Amino acid sequence: MLVINMPSYEMFAVELIYTLVVVFLCFVVYYKTKGIYDLTKYKGIGYFRNAFLFFGLAYASRFILHLVQLTTFTFDFIIPKRMVFPLFMIPTGYFSTMAIFYLAYSIIWKKIKYEHFLTFGNTIAVILSAVAFISRSHILLSILQLLLLIFSIVLIIIKHKKPRKKLHTKALYILISIFWLINLFLLGPRRLLSFGIKFLFQLISIIVFIIIYYKVKKWVK
Amino acid sequence: MGKMRKRDRLEVIYDFLKIIRESNNSIKPTPLLRKSNLSSQSFAEYFKEMLSKELIKEAQDKKRRKYITLTDKGFKYLEKYKYILGFIGEFEL
Repeated sequence: MLVINMPSYEMFAVELIYTLVVVFLCFVVYYKTKGIYDLTKYKGIGYFRNAFLFFGLAYASRFILHLVQLTTFTFDFIIPKRMVFPLFMIPTGYFSTMAIFYLAYSIIWKKIKYEHFLTFGNTIAVILSAVAFISRSHILLSILQLLLLIFSIVLIIIKHKKPRKKLHTKALYILISIFWLINLFLLGPRRLLSFGIKFLFQLISIIVFIIIYYKVKKWVK
Repeated sequence: MGKMRKRDRLEVIYDFLKIIRESNNSIKPTPLLRKSNLSSQSFAEYFKEMLSKELIKEAQDKKRRKYITLTDKGFKYLEKYKYILGFIGEFEL
Protein backbone atom coordinates (compact mmCIF):
# COMPACT_ATOMS: atom_id res chain seq x y z
CA MET A 1 0.00 0.00 0.00
CA LEU A 2 1.20 3.48 -0.79
CA VAL A 3 0.92 5.91 2.08
CA ILE A 4 2.24 9.39 1.51
CA ASN A 5 3.53 10.96 4.71
CA MET A 6 3.76 14.58 3.86
CA PRO A 7 2.06 17.80 4.62
CA SER A 8 0.05 17.76 1.41
CA TYR A 9 -0.49 15.98 -1.84
CA GLU A 10 0.17 19.29 -3.60
CA MET A 11 3.82 19.03 -2.64
CA PHE A 12 4.01 15.59 -4.18
CA ALA A 13 2.23 16.76 -7.33
CA VAL A 14 4.57 19.75 -7.67
CA GLU A 15 7.61 17.49 -7.29
CA LEU A 16 6.27 15.07 -9.88
CA ILE A 17 5.47 17.77 -12.43
CA TYR A 18 8.76 19.55 -11.78
CA THR A 19 10.71 16.32 -12.33
CA LEU A 20 8.78 15.44 -15.48
CA VAL A 21 9.34 18.88 -17.00
CA VAL A 22 13.07 18.98 -16.19
CA VAL A 23 13.69 15.39 -17.34
CA PHE A 24 11.72 16.07 -20.53
CA LEU A 25 13.72 19.24 -21.29
CA CYS A 26 17.04 17.49 -20.61
CA PHE A 27 16.19 14.58 -22.88
CA VAL A 28 14.88 16.90 -25.61
CA VAL A 29 18.20 18.81 -25.55
CA TYR A 30 20.02 15.47 -25.79
CA TYR A 31 17.83 14.24 -28.64
CA LYS A 32 17.81 17.53 -30.59
CA THR A 33 21.61 17.67 -30.67
CA LYS A 34 21.99 14.10 -31.95
CA GLY A 35 21.96 15.12 -35.63
CA ILE A 36 24.59 17.83 -35.25
CA TYR A 37 26.79 15.46 -33.23
CA ASP A 38 26.44 12.56 -35.68
CA LEU A 39 27.41 14.91 -38.48
CA THR A 40 30.53 16.32 -36.84
CA LYS A 41 31.52 13.95 -34.00
CA TYR A 42 32.72 17.14 -32.35
CA LYS A 43 33.85 16.31 -28.82
CA GLY A 44 32.49 19.49 -27.22
CA ILE A 45 28.99 18.75 -28.54
CA GLY A 46 29.30 15.18 -27.25
CA TYR A 47 30.20 16.37 -23.74
CA PHE A 48 27.39 18.94 -23.81
CA ARG A 49 24.86 16.23 -24.77
CA ASN A 50 26.16 13.89 -22.09
CA ALA A 51 25.75 16.60 -19.45
CA PHE A 52 22.04 16.89 -20.25
CA LEU A 53 21.55 13.13 -20.50
CA PHE A 54 23.09 12.73 -17.04
CA PHE A 55 21.11 15.65 -15.61
CA GLY A 56 17.90 14.01 -16.87
CA LEU A 57 18.85 10.68 -15.32
CA ALA A 58 19.92 12.39 -12.08
CA TYR A 59 16.58 14.22 -11.74
CA ALA A 60 14.69 10.98 -12.45
CA SER A 61 16.59 9.02 -9.80
CA ARG A 62 16.32 11.94 -7.38
CA PHE A 63 12.55 11.72 -7.73
CA ILE A 64 12.63 8.05 -6.72
CA LEU A 65 14.71 9.01 -3.67
CA HIS A 66 12.20 11.70 -2.88
CA LEU A 67 9.36 9.24 -3.21
CA VAL A 68 11.06 6.76 -0.91
CA GLN A 69 11.57 9.46 1.69
CA LEU A 70 8.09 10.88 1.45
CA THR A 71 6.18 7.65 1.58
CA THR A 72 5.88 4.57 3.66
CA PHE A 73 5.75 2.61 0.44
CA THR A 74 8.36 -0.05 1.05
CA PHE A 75 9.57 -3.26 -0.42
CA ASP A 76 10.07 -4.66 3.04
CA PHE A 77 9.27 -8.11 1.86
CA ILE A 78 12.02 -7.86 -0.76
CA ILE A 79 14.34 -5.04 0.23
CA PRO A 80 13.98 -3.11 3.50
CA LYS A 81 13.23 0.58 3.05
CA ARG A 82 16.45 1.40 4.86
CA MET A 83 18.24 -0.30 1.98
CA VAL A 84 16.19 1.26 -0.84
CA PHE A 85 17.23 4.83 -0.01
CA PRO A 86 21.01 4.27 0.01
CA LEU A 87 20.68 2.06 -3.07
CA PHE A 88 19.12 4.89 -5.05
CA MET A 89 21.77 7.26 -3.72
CA ILE A 90 24.24 5.44 -5.99
CA PRO A 91 22.69 6.38 -9.39
CA THR A 92 21.70 9.81 -8.09
CA GLY A 93 25.25 10.53 -6.96
CA TYR A 94 26.85 9.09 -10.06
CA PHE A 95 24.60 10.70 -12.69
CA SER A 96 24.63 14.14 -11.11
CA THR A 97 28.40 14.20 -10.55
CA MET A 98 28.93 13.17 -14.17
CA ALA A 99 26.47 15.85 -15.32
CA ILE A 100 28.36 18.63 -13.50
CA PHE A 101 31.65 17.21 -14.72
CA TYR A 102 30.56 16.97 -18.38
CA LEU A 103 29.06 20.47 -18.33
CA ALA A 104 32.35 21.96 -17.12
CA TYR A 105 34.39 19.74 -19.43
CA SER A 106 32.37 20.76 -22.49
CA ILE A 107 33.78 24.29 -22.05
CA ILE A 108 37.39 23.51 -21.14
CA TRP A 109 38.13 20.24 -22.97
CA LYS A 110 40.27 21.99 -25.59
CA LYS A 111 42.47 23.53 -22.92
CA ILE A 112 43.03 20.37 -20.92
CA LYS A 113 45.73 18.21 -22.37
CA TYR A 114 45.18 15.35 -19.97
CA GLU A 115 43.90 12.37 -21.95
CA HIS A 116 42.59 10.52 -18.89
CA PHE A 117 40.43 13.41 -17.72
CA LEU A 118 37.24 11.46 -18.48
CA THR A 119 38.51 8.53 -16.43
CA PHE A 120 39.30 10.99 -13.66
CA GLY A 121 35.73 12.33 -13.81
CA ASN A 122 34.27 8.83 -13.72
CA THR A 123 36.44 7.94 -10.73
CA ILE A 124 35.28 11.03 -8.83
CA ALA A 125 31.64 10.15 -9.66
CA VAL A 126 32.08 6.56 -8.45
CA ILE A 127 33.75 7.75 -5.23
CA LEU A 128 31.02 10.32 -4.52
CA SER A 129 28.24 7.80 -5.13
CA ALA A 130 30.02 5.29 -2.85
CA VAL A 131 30.29 7.96 -0.14
CA ALA A 132 26.59 8.75 -0.61
CA PHE A 133 25.71 5.06 -0.34
CA ILE A 134 27.78 4.49 2.81
CA SER A 135 26.82 7.73 4.57
CA ARG A 136 23.15 7.57 3.41
CA SER A 137 23.31 11.34 3.39
CA HIS A 138 22.11 13.43 0.48
CA ILE A 139 23.31 16.49 2.38
CA LEU A 140 26.88 15.20 2.44
CA LEU A 141 26.60 14.38 -1.28
CA SER A 142 25.37 17.89 -2.07
CA ILE A 143 28.25 19.42 -0.06
CA LEU A 144 30.80 17.28 -1.91
CA GLN A 145 29.25 18.21 -5.24
CA LEU A 146 29.35 21.87 -4.23
CA LEU A 147 33.11 21.49 -3.75
CA LEU A 148 33.31 19.84 -7.20
CA LEU A 149 31.34 22.73 -8.69
CA ILE A 150 33.62 25.32 -7.04
CA PHE A 151 36.64 23.41 -8.38
CA SER A 152 35.06 23.37 -11.88
CA ILE A 153 34.31 27.10 -11.78
CA VAL A 154 37.89 27.89 -10.74
CA LEU A 155 39.19 25.63 -13.53
CA ILE A 156 36.92 27.35 -16.08
CA ILE A 157 38.05 30.81 -14.95
CA ILE A 158 41.73 29.81 -15.20
CA LYS A 159 41.52 27.83 -18.45
CA HIS A 160 38.79 29.55 -20.39
CA LYS A 161 39.32 33.26 -20.82
CA LYS A 162 36.75 34.47 -23.32
CA PRO A 163 35.17 37.88 -23.92
CA ARG A 164 32.53 38.93 -21.41
CA LYS A 165 29.74 38.78 -23.97
CA LYS A 166 29.47 35.02 -23.38
CA LEU A 167 29.23 35.35 -19.63
CA HIS A 168 25.50 34.56 -19.68
CA THR A 169 26.09 31.03 -21.03
CA LYS A 170 28.46 30.23 -18.19
CA ALA A 171 25.97 31.81 -15.77
CA LEU A 172 23.26 29.45 -17.07
CA TYR A 173 25.58 26.47 -16.61
CA ILE A 174 26.40 27.52 -13.07
CA LEU A 175 22.71 28.11 -12.33
CA ILE A 176 21.58 24.66 -13.44
CA SER A 177 24.34 23.11 -11.35
CA ILE A 178 23.39 25.19 -8.31
CA PHE A 179 19.70 24.35 -8.80
CA TRP A 180 20.60 20.68 -8.81
CA LEU A 181 22.56 21.06 -5.56
CA ILE A 182 19.69 22.89 -3.87
CA ASN A 183 17.25 20.23 -5.09
CA LEU A 184 19.46 17.51 -3.68
CA PHE A 185 19.93 19.38 -0.40
CA LEU A 186 16.18 19.88 0.00
CA LEU A 187 15.35 16.24 -0.64
CA GLY A 188 12.85 14.71 1.73
CA PRO A 189 9.86 15.68 3.79
CA ARG A 190 11.54 18.17 6.11
CA ARG A 191 10.65 21.72 5.32
CA LEU A 192 13.90 23.63 5.09
CA LEU A 193 12.18 26.09 2.80
CA SER A 194 8.53 27.07 2.78
CA PHE A 195 6.40 25.49 0.07
CA GLY A 196 5.99 28.84 -1.70
CA ILE A 197 9.71 29.62 -1.81
CA LYS A 198 10.55 26.11 -2.99
CA PHE A 199 7.89 26.37 -5.69
CA LEU A 200 9.29 29.72 -6.84
CA PHE A 201 12.79 28.33 -6.92
CA GLN A 202 11.66 25.32 -8.97
CA LEU A 203 9.86 27.64 -11.36
CA ILE A 204 13.03 29.67 -11.90
CA SER A 205 14.95 26.46 -12.41
CA ILE A 206 12.51 25.37 -15.14
CA ILE A 207 12.84 28.79 -16.81
CA VAL A 208 16.63 28.33 -16.96
CA PHE A 209 16.20 24.91 -18.59
CA ILE A 210 13.71 26.41 -21.07
CA ILE A 211 16.20 29.19 -21.96
CA ILE A 212 18.83 26.52 -22.69
CA TYR A 213 16.31 24.56 -24.76
CA TYR A 214 15.50 27.66 -26.86
CA LYS A 215 19.19 28.40 -27.34
CA VAL A 216 19.63 24.86 -28.64
CA LYS A 217 16.54 25.12 -30.84
CA LYS A 218 17.84 28.33 -32.40
CA TRP A 219 20.77 26.48 -33.99
CA VAL A 220 19.48 22.97 -34.38
CA LYS A 221 16.66 22.92 -36.88
CA MET B 1 53.13 39.98 -42.62
CA GLY B 2 50.53 38.83 -40.13
CA LYS B 3 50.63 35.33 -38.75
CA MET B 4 48.19 33.02 -40.55
CA ARG B 5 45.35 31.75 -38.39
CA LYS B 6 45.38 28.03 -37.81
CA ARG B 7 42.17 26.46 -39.14
CA ASP B 8 40.33 24.26 -36.72
CA ARG B 9 39.19 20.73 -37.54
CA LEU B 10 35.63 21.64 -38.47
CA GLU B 11 36.81 24.43 -40.74
CA VAL B 12 39.31 22.17 -42.52
CA ILE B 13 36.56 19.61 -43.14
CA TYR B 14 34.26 22.38 -44.41
CA ASP B 15 36.93 23.70 -46.81
CA PHE B 16 37.66 20.18 -47.98
CA LEU B 17 34.02 19.42 -48.73
CA LYS B 18 33.51 22.80 -50.35
CA ILE B 19 36.36 22.17 -52.78
CA ILE B 20 34.70 18.91 -53.85
CA ARG B 21 31.29 20.55 -54.25
CA GLU B 22 32.75 23.40 -56.27
CA SER B 23 34.43 20.88 -58.58
CA ASN B 24 31.05 19.60 -59.72
CA ASN B 25 31.15 17.02 -56.96
CA SER B 26 33.94 15.10 -58.62
CA ILE B 27 37.64 15.66 -58.07
CA LYS B 28 40.77 13.54 -58.25
CA PRO B 29 42.91 13.17 -55.10
CA THR B 30 45.92 15.14 -56.39
CA PRO B 31 44.11 18.41 -57.22
CA LEU B 32 42.15 18.03 -53.98
CA LEU B 33 45.41 17.82 -52.02
CA ARG B 34 46.74 20.89 -53.82
CA LYS B 35 43.63 22.97 -53.27
CA SER B 36 43.18 21.95 -49.63
CA ASN B 37 46.39 23.67 -48.46
CA LEU B 38 47.26 20.74 -46.24
CA SER B 39 50.44 18.76 -45.88
CA SER B 40 50.38 15.27 -47.38
CA GLN B 41 50.22 13.74 -43.91
CA SER B 42 47.36 15.96 -42.72
CA PHE B 43 45.54 15.43 -45.99
CA ALA B 44 45.79 11.65 -45.58
CA GLU B 45 44.48 11.87 -42.00
CA TYR B 46 41.53 14.10 -42.89
CA PHE B 47 40.77 12.07 -45.96
CA LYS B 48 40.64 8.86 -43.92
CA GLU B 49 38.51 10.55 -41.27
CA MET B 50 36.00 11.88 -43.79
CA LEU B 51 35.74 8.51 -45.49
CA SER B 52 35.10 6.80 -42.16
CA LYS B 53 32.48 9.41 -41.25
CA GLU B 54 30.88 8.88 -44.65
CA LEU B 55 31.12 12.55 -45.60
CA ILE B 56 32.88 11.63 -48.84
CA LYS B 57 33.24 8.52 -50.94
CA GLU B 58 35.68 7.24 -53.49
CA ALA B 59 34.56 6.15 -56.91
CA GLN B 60 36.10 5.13 -60.22
CA ASP B 61 35.24 6.31 -63.69
CA LYS B 62 35.11 4.15 -66.85
CA LYS B 63 38.87 4.50 -67.26
CA ARG B 64 39.30 3.21 -63.72
CA ARG B 65 40.54 6.61 -62.53
CA LYS B 66 39.85 7.32 -58.92
CA TYR B 67 37.81 10.38 -57.98
CA ILE B 68 36.14 11.71 -54.86
CA THR B 69 32.54 12.81 -54.39
CA LEU B 70 30.39 14.04 -51.54
CA THR B 71 27.83 11.81 -49.87
CA ASP B 72 24.42 13.09 -48.74
CA LYS B 73 25.96 13.51 -45.30
CA GLY B 74 28.73 15.60 -46.84
CA PHE B 75 26.19 17.91 -48.51
CA LYS B 76 24.31 18.13 -45.24
CA TYR B 77 27.51 19.13 -43.42
CA LEU B 78 28.05 22.00 -45.86
CA GLU B 79 24.45 23.08 -45.53
CA LYS B 80 24.50 23.00 -41.71
CA TYR B 81 28.01 24.35 -41.18
CA LYS B 82 26.85 27.86 -40.24
CA TYR B 83 24.49 26.42 -37.64
CA ILE B 84 27.12 24.03 -36.29
CA LEU B 85 29.47 26.98 -35.71
CA GLY B 86 26.62 29.00 -34.22
CA PHE B 87 25.78 26.23 -31.81
CA ILE B 88 29.41 25.74 -30.75
CA GLY B 89 29.80 29.49 -30.27
CA GLU B 90 26.53 29.82 -28.36
CA PHE B 91 27.51 27.19 -25.80
CA GLU B 92 31.28 27.85 -25.90
CA LEU B 93 32.02 24.22 -26.72
